[in-house]
Amino acid sequence: MNTRDLLSLCAKNLMRRKTRTLLAIIGVMVGTCAVVVMLSIGFGMTQSYEEQIQSYGDLHMIELYSGGGGFQGVGGEQQGVISDKTLASIEKMDGVTAVTPVVSAYMTLGIGKYVTSAEIIGVKPEVLEKFNYGLQEGRYLNNADKDVLVFGSQIPYWFYNPQSKNYESVEQDVITDKIILTADWNYGQKPQSGTADDDKVEYKEYKMKGVGLLEMKNDSPDYCVYMNISRLEEIVKETAKAEGQRTTTMTGTGEKTYDRAYVYVGDINDTERLSKELKDLGYQSYSPIDWLASMKETANMIQGILGGIGGISLFVAALSITNTMIMSIYERTKEIGVMKVIGANLRDIRKLFLMEAGLIGFIGGIIGVILSLTLSLLMNTVLRDLISIALSSFGAYGTTISIIPAWLIVAAVVFATGIGVLAGYSPAKRAMNLSALESLRNE
Amino acid sequence: MEPLIKVTNVRKIYRMGDERVVALDNISLEIYRGEVVCFLGTSGSGKSTFLNMVAGLEKPTRGEIYIGNIPIHKLNEEQVTLFRQKNIGFIFQAYHLMPMLTALENVSMPLIFRNVERKKRNQLAKDALAAVGLKGYENRKPTQMSGGQQQRVGIARALVGTPKIIFADEPTGNLDTHTTKDVMQLIIREVRKHNQTLIMVTHDRSIANYADKVVTIQDGNILKVEEGDK
Repeated sequence: MNTRDLLSLCAKNLMRRKTRTLLAIIGVMVGTCAVVVMLSIGFGMTQSYEEQIQSYGDLHMIELYSGGGGFQGVGGEQQGVISDKTLASIEKMDGVTAVTPVVSAYMTLGIGKYVTSAEIIGVKPEVLEKFNYGLQEGRYLNNADKDVLVFGSQIPYWFYNPQSKNYESVEQDVITDKIILTADWNYGQKPQSGTADDDKVEYKEYKMKGVGLLEMKNDSPDYCVYMNISRLEEIVKETAKAEGQRTTTMTGTGEKTYDRAYVYVGDINDTERLSKELKDLGYQSYSPIDWLASMKETANMIQGILGGIGGISLFVAALSITNTMIMSIYERTKEIGVMKVIGANLRDIRKLFLMEAGLIGFIGGIIGVILSLTLSLLMNTVLRDLISIALSSFGAYGTTISIIPAWLIVAAVVFATGIGVLAGYSPAKRAMNLSALESLRNE
Repeated sequence: MEPLIKVTNVRKIYRMGDERVVALDNISLEIYRGEVVCFLGTSGSGKSTFLNMVAGLEKPTRGEIYIGNIPIHKLNEEQVTLFRQKNIGFIFQAYHLMPMLTALENVSMPLIFRNVERKKRNQLAKDALAAVGLKGYENRKPTQMSGGQQQRVGIARALVGTPKIIFADEPTGNLDTHTTKDVMQLIIREVRKHNQTLIMVTHDRSIANYADKVVTIQDGNILKVEEGDK
């Protein structure tokens, strides 16, 4: 018997007992729908957690601080030292895309009469591009750049005229070579009378060129200005000199160390592992991904519970398919016998019943998925406010409540069909083993 | 002439709990190609058991059954099914048509099991229906037909694909006398036309009149064999 004939025979058999078939299908439909919807809520929660965490910062980024306590082992190497050498070895770690030491200084920027102050972050010029910040305008830093700045997206809005009355901010075009960078807090203000001249520190004013404006990230890079780390170090040193401090070289001998570094991870799935590995190396590392692990655990647990509830109803549906098929076999005992006598072989009989059961599962699965998609849509629109109240008690404040990924649709239909076939297995076997004689002994 | 069906010393014992029921005691028989044989006997005489055994639906406790040169008693279920598909047609007392299928689909069932291609089997089934006088009834469901018509569909189903042997178990048991006559004449005519062998089982003496050979069975043994006038 070929599949097409089998299928048409199955369909006709199912149509015979419309109500009973329908009830079995509804069972599968409800079961599938329960599983899919429950899982989709779990996916929604996971995503809302991820959204939340992304708002805490860039999941690709691990911020590194040199090892805590400054403890130095006797004769041993200090753990968690950030130096060019250790950074080079970190860069070689699996999954790390870019590494840079970080020096930062809070300084004043001036464009004409407008000024603002911002955190100037010194990084290795080539990493900015690798950090994937994205450019609105201009370009990233390159190795030849010295007195060159790249701006976070919010900086241009911060400029104001200190000599005006209300300090109103006026957006400035930062892609210009008329930028002044200085450590002088009073830059641009009217020289105040009465200040003792001998107290005054002579801050240098550095001419800078703005070459790039980063995309908005809703994260700390929006509020930073980036430049070449070696140049910033010089400026910091000169400023310290001007202020009369001693040189900043803490370790008189040996290699230069840094307090801070950025480690950029190409794939966010590696971030958690790398963050942990760096901690094990003695660094203090910080990444928003650290939060994600525990949140994901919660989401998985809730998803498990929800999926389990759905699973129970699908199990009940499977029982109902089995029941339907057993009933159907009792009813059709004679028919099965006749089919055997007029030439149906055992495999055909088994296939017929497996296919009928599978068909119930398949149709139920399809309708169940359609129903789930509808429910999911409703939950994300009309019912959203109501459900989000319930979900917020688990700490999920996402915008989307229910997410049904494409693979889940396929998996649900396949699973429902599989459940059907599985439920039909024992009845099919029973039908196969029925004696053909039953039908003939009817005198 | 070589017999088409050769039954030698067949014995069948059913076990019902501790009790042993002898359904067939010791039967030997030869049936030739083109013969119409009628097994006559009361209910419980063992005639149906005999039919089942020749059709390979049951295995004898002892003895041999050959159809052509194939040892039916030795074949496994799979082999016997394949053999039945190609060589045997069945007519049942209660018609046993599939209620959800049309007359045409019912008749083509045996061909479906044999994997005959759709177009070809529909044509064969149509011809078979026409042969039993049911032209134009192709798309009727069994519930839309009378008993006589249903049995004609059953006959068409047995005849389709022209198997060598037709088994008929009380083919007219559910029909009135007038229809019985029509149906019997139809069966005999078709069987003769294609030189098929017909084996009938009945308790109705009048049916026996259509047969070349009447075998009376009683208590699991052949009581007598009457050869017809032909």
